[in-house]
Amino acid sequence: MSDKEKSLYGEGVCFERIRRITGYLVGTVDRFNNAKRAEVNDRVKHGV
Amino acid sequence: MIFTVKKRDGREMPFNIEKISDAIVKAFRASGELNDQIKASQEQIDLLGHEDVLSSTALKVAAYAVGRLEAEGKTKPDIEEIQDAVEKALTDNNYADTAKSYILYRAERTRIREVNTRLMHTLRDITFSSAKESDLKRENANIDGDTAMGTMLKYGSESAKHFYTMMMLKPEHSQAHMNGDIHIHDLDFYSLTMTCCQIDLIKLFKNGFNTGHGHLREPKDIRSYAALAAIAIQSNQNDQHGGQSVPNFDYAMADGVRITYRKAYLSNMVKALMLFTGKEEEEIQPVVKKLHSEMAEMGMVATLVPNEKFVETEARELSKSFDTEMVMKAQKFAEKQAYEETDKTTFQAMEAFVHNLNSMHSRAGAQTPFSSINYGMCTDPEARMVMKNLLLTTDEGLGGGETAIFPIQIFRVKKGINLNEGDPNYDLFKLACKVSAKRLFPNFSFQDAPYNLQYYKPGHPETEISYMGCRTRVIGNNYDPTREISYGRGNLSFTSINLPRIAIKMRSIDLFFKELDRMLQLVSDQLMERFAVQSRRKVKNFPFLMGQGVWIDSDKLGWEDTVGEVIKHGTLSIGFIGLAETLVMLTGKHHGESESSQQLGLKIIGHMRDFCDKESKRLGLNFSLLATPAEGLSGRFVRMDKKKYGIIPGVTDRDYYTNSFHVPVYYKISAFKKLALEAPYHALTNAGHISYIELDGDPTQNLDAFEKIVRYMAEVGIGYGSINHPVDRDPVCGFVGVIGDTCPRCGRSDGHYISEEKLNELRKKFPGMPAFRGIR
Repeated sequence: MSDKEKSLYGEGVCFERIRRITGYLVGTVDRFNNAKRAEVNDRVKHGV
Repeated sequence: MIFTVKKRDGREMPFNIEKISDAIVKAFRASGELNDQIKASQEQIDLLGHEDVLSSTALKVAAYAVGRLEAEGKTKPDIEEIQDAVEKALTDNNYADTAKSYILYRAERTRIREVNTRLMHTLRDITFSSAKESDLKRENANIDGDTAMGTMLKYGSESAKHFYTMMMLKPEHSQAHMNGDIHIHDLDFYSLTMTCCQIDLIKLFKNGFNTGHGHLREPKDIRSYAALAAIAIQSNQNDQHGGQSVPNFDYAMADGVRITYRKAYLSNMVKALMLFTGKEEEEIQPVVKKLHSEMAEMGMVATLVPNEKFVETEARELSKSFDTEMVMKAQKFAEKQAYEETDKTTFQAMEAFVHNLNSMHSRAGAQTPFSSINYGMCTDPEARMVMKNLLLTTDEGLGGGETAIFPIQIFRVKKGINLNEGDPNYDLFKLACKVSAKRLFPNFSFQDAPYNLQYYKPGHPETEISYMGCRTRVIGNNYDPTREISYGRGNLSFTSINLPRIAIKMRSIDLFFKELDRMLQLVSDQLMERFAVQSRRKVKNFPFLMGQGVWIDSDKLGWEDTVGEVIKHGTLSIGFIGLAETLVMLTGKHHGESESSQQLGLKIIGHMRDFCDKESKRLGLNFSLLATPAEGLSGRFVRMDKKKYGIIPGVTDRDYYTNSFHVPVYYKISAFKKLALEAPYHALTNAGHISYIELDGDPTQNLDAFEKIVRYMAEVGIGYGSINHPVDRDPVCGFVGVIGDTCPRCGRSDGHYISEEKLNELRKKFPGMPAFRGIR
């Protein structure tokens, strides 16, 4: 490992985005199936 | 002349006319068209020159077929060409029935071949593609399809599904499932087990239990209560394919706190007396211990909130051996210390419980148990201590500050208990809102919704409403109306109807209802078929669920007994998806857009509920209507319908059908309007339901709005609801909250790095930052 690499952290580490799927939480949207992924993208916020 | 044939795989094989005639013999046998002639020839069996009518006729037809092929100049025919020629030969020779049998035989062979090929394709997909590429591997988001055990589970699951559709389901059910009219959920477990169960921990813990790998004694403090609760959930998960839930977490854990407090009080009492009197432990401990056990026999024990009877009796008795003033001082010390120690221990127990449920594995190690816990109604100080600490540890998150995925926490809301100021558990309701605003859990269930309230008997926690997992609800009991409780019961199986397809096919509302009725009956028959298979299973097939008496009345059965009678307490549920798309197809508008669509929606779902009630009466069982959770199903139906009917705007133009009765996720609507529209469907879907609200930004900054929504849920008659908001986390700097393109704390964007200097600087500012691999 070069000195430069040694002093940098987090390369390739993605943010975790927890979402509710049917009722369960899932730690990452990557695990969603295609349909649920599309649905999550379409979700709009509800005003209060 | 024909010397070779081309097989399906392309190989050329020597031609053999007998193979053709053998197939024709089978067709004649199936049609019975030659039966009279065969009988006649058998009567003349003695005569010389007799020949087998069946094979000779078949050979003649085969020769005719070959003649046709040769006439057409086909010297190397393939299998399809030969079969076409045989069909023609049978028709030309006036064997119409046999031609029909032959066509059916051909179709059946094709089907088997296709299924086998499909299975091989599926297994290949599972083997060689990663979860990222393969939708199949992401069918269930809580299983990691890339691991060895996840893959093995998938092989088993897909093979089992193929087996059941081919060999066990009635053809009409199998076909309806395969063509997407209906969806039989958890088909891979078709003949094996039931969906889920509400585990009564109090009953299970009494006298201990056996996991199949050793006996666990009755727990003796809150830590072992919490540890055993997790083990019970894990063990039961291995006997069922659906979720596992605890209906009485507050009541059950309170018992553990009671014991922990009693022990802590005793040891602190001894310590205090040692200190005040200067005597040795051996002199004091036996005296106090003996007194406590004698008092316990008379029903007097030390309690978290001190009770007069105990305090006075203890003081009086101990004063016989020690100075009165010293005793009273020791009591005060012991009360305070024991309370603090119990509180701390309870927090640790809850912390460990949540950690366990997020790390202990089930199902060949491919996933953690699908766990839920219900609580909120018990007002005993011990139960309140449990709930407070559970919420606090949930708020803190897991080791690295991560949001816990399990258990699903369900906070029961009830007026007079926790909803309003002055209610004994109001503080816990407030805390539940605060934690949910940060961690997405707890969800909220509503005891006062009329259809939940009707079962509730104060003083009988088993009649409180319990939900589980995605939304399942079991409380009414048509099979045994004296047992309208949640404990020890669950869903047996469920099957969903593709509502939008009925609308697409029928177009008119009248015809829609006719076809819906046909589909409802089909599903009811299918559920009954499966119920018959499930009923033949024995206690030994469910060593924990039935063997340890978790399921209602299973403790009355022997190891070799069938479970048919006791599972009648469970529910058979009919589910549905895509009410919104159905309404768009029938009226042009979904229920969020038009009041008359809402009325039609309620009519449709009400009609389905009526059907379930009628079937319950007719069959003496528990049929119920489910707002299907639909994870894998969300895309399956619409994919098929898109192929079949093309893209219909507002109906098949997305990659998913809208969940159950929900107003579409893409439709702009206020939180309150959405809840008001969805609440009446909660009353109809007695097998389970949930409504979601999506909040923008960070709701911890606006707890009033959060609480207002929960209160509105209670007001409009929602049964079970939760509020979604983005919960993001940067594993590098540990930030939890809303992350847009860049992390608000460390400023890096997704997948990018930060420097060591920056990290050290942040570490000084946020001392609680978790260690990240590679970071000193």
